[in-house]
Amino acid sequence: MNAGFATLSCALFAVLLSAQSTSTDEREPGIPVTDPLVIAKCGSCHASDATQNMQRVSWSRTTPEGWQDVLKEQILLDRVSVTPAEARSIVKYLSESHGLAPEEAKPVMYDAERRVHEETLIPSESLRENCSKCHAFARALSWRRSAEDWKQFVATHADRYKVRSTADAVAYLSKSAPLHTSAWDAWVSRKTAENLAGRWLVSAYMPGRGAFCGEMQIDRAGDDYTTRIAITSVRDGSRVVRIGRAAVFGGSAWRGRSKGDASNSAPDDPSSEAREVVLIAANQSTAEGRWFWGQYQEFGFDVKLQRASSDPALLAIDRPLLKTGSSANRIRLIGDRFPAQMTPSDLDFGTGVTVKRIVSNTAAEIVAELDVAPSATLGKRDVRFRRSILTGALAIYDHVDYIQVEPDSSMAAFGDRSHPRGFQQFEAIAYQRGADGKLHTNDDVALGPVDVVWSHEVFHAGAHGSTDAVGTMSSSGLFTPANANPGANFDVWVIATAQDEKDQKGEPMVGKAYMVVTVPTYTFNGRQYVRELDRWVDDGPARK
Amino acid sequence: MRFIRFTVIPIIAGLLAMPRTAGAHHGWVDFDEKTDVTVQGTATAFYFLNPHCVVEFEVKDDGGRTQKWQGEFASKGELSHKGWTAASIEAGEKLTLTGHPSKDGSRAIHVTKIRTSKGELKLGVDPESR
Repeated sequence: MNAGFATLSCALFAVLLSAQSTSTDEREPGIPVTDPLVIAKCGSCHASDATQNMQRVSWSRTTPEGWQDVLKEQILLDRVSVTPAEARSIVKYLSESHGLAPEEAKPVMYDAERRVHEETLIPSESLRENCSKCHAFARALSWRRSAEDWKQFVATHADRYKVRSTADAVAYLSKSAPLHTSAWDAWVSRKTAENLAGRWLVSAYMPGRGAFCGEMQIDRAGDDYTTRIAITSVRDGSRVVRIGRAAVFGGSAWRGRSKGDASNSAPDDPSSEAREVVLIAANQSTAEGRWFWGQYQEFGFDVKLQRASSDPALLAIDRPLLKTGSSANRIRLIGDRFPAQMTPSDLDFGTGVTVKRIVSNTAAEIVAELDVAPSATLGKRDVRFRRSILTGALAIYDHVDYIQVEPDSSMAAFGDRSHPRGFQQFEAIAYQRGADGKLHTNDDVALGPVDVVWSHEVFHAGAHGSTDAVGTMSSSGLFTPANANPGANFDVWVIATAQDEKDQKGEPMVGKAYMVVTVPTYTFNGRQYVRELDRWVDDGPARK
Repeated sequence: MRFIRFTVIPIIAGLLAMPRTAGAHHGWVDFDEKTDVTVQGTATAFYFLNPHCVVEFEVKDDGGRTQKWQGEFASKGELSHKGWTAASIEAGEKLTLTGHPSKDGSRAIHVTKIRTSKGELKLGVDPESR
């Protein structure tokens, strides 16, 4: 990496004028910018006033990714030159002083976590057209700005991207994402220097491979952390050990990378190098997020962390659903610090489920035998071991009503010589009607994954080419697109045919999902210098 | 007859926040917009999905044989605005569908009007609202 850039090639005069014109209209108090490096790199275009309020910057707050995007834009458009260490320092300072409170970050975490997420709360067709036509609506809501800064931002954005109507965007964003919020004020006053060092318990779920449990040892490394993660598959007992490094931005935004010790060539190998995006709770005792990888960040673990203590802790159970009227069900509970002595009364699965006996137990695992009454209440229930609770971990059902393939709408991408493929992992989830007795309504209960036979079929196959030509489905529900890019899109049914569950006609139940297999995304955020910025920020100057 | 017209990229990018990728899929070009057909059948499954909602239904031909058909609608997001849900069409419901037939002769229809056992379901997008 070219680290010897001139300090600042500066400065588009128009940008300077634009920035100057903004501050004169600001009526809200700004958030001072005091970091010498930020002032040195940004100050020639964004002047500061006597109270150290820096034009534009002092009237905005966002996530680490938001500040990274700004820095990329400044590098590409305004020719700001920074070294990797400087980039990291700038993002870290701004995420700390001009970041988001955990309560503000949580609703938009799916964007930073690179999840496919259906945004159902976009308030108007105009905002849908103007914002989410190009990016997730969460991208806008990841920012907090003064009313004047929203006005200026929207005007600039509209000019650059040829957006037509903007008045309602300014009105909505000024009201919904203001600079000053009670959540931010409270977070600034209450947050303390985070210290996450210690042993943490990990509950993770990887679509297609199921639940993993284990631990994460976090150690201090200067201002950052090093990690050692050891997790075991609940399904098959396979073990993954990952070594990583991370930084915490603004007291709650964990950003890091880790890599397993036994990586193979499979794209969905759980040992793959992963980016870690995790939100640390304000109490610094729990955390939640995603570790992900892949050209399109399509693979990953959904992760929950809790600080280990001297108390027993439940992490997972191996069977997510039990049938009413069934008996002698063996269920395995995985956890931490289970005592040597225990009785069936230490376990509680709710009314109608009886723990007949403890079959075996160790410090990390309990095997119990359960009976489920014919009259047991249907639906999800908590599982308890003494004071430790797994919320909604077990579903009681009488029969499966339908199978839903998840994700129900998705994309995969062909590859070519210079663009890796985009894969798609599917799961077949059994559902039962809810209390309203109707199918496909909001109270339906997801019972958990079921065994199916996977297949796929191109819409109107024949006219649009062969089903086999678009790619292959594995027995575990992983779709691998063809490596030859045909330069066209294909609508594809992903079909799950149940191995055990039957419909009313006695036929195997079938679930379907809609997948679009398309061309690769050809551009990846500018030149290599900018693409590497994520890695600089994650890894820090200590790694190459 | 009012036609549903939309561009595909906004549907994909707008209704599903897919920060990982963006792209397109088939449009209505596969259907003969100059021709309208009406088909009666019985719903076997309804998929309330992006980028298109789809109903699968069975039709008895003149010889009494069962044919499997597929009716395609706008996206889940579009139909949600019209009051549709995943339960709007239930398996076993009698359907009368009008729309444009597939150009390739497959048993598929771009649905522009649909009546179920419960009555007519609202379709169509006001071009002025887009």
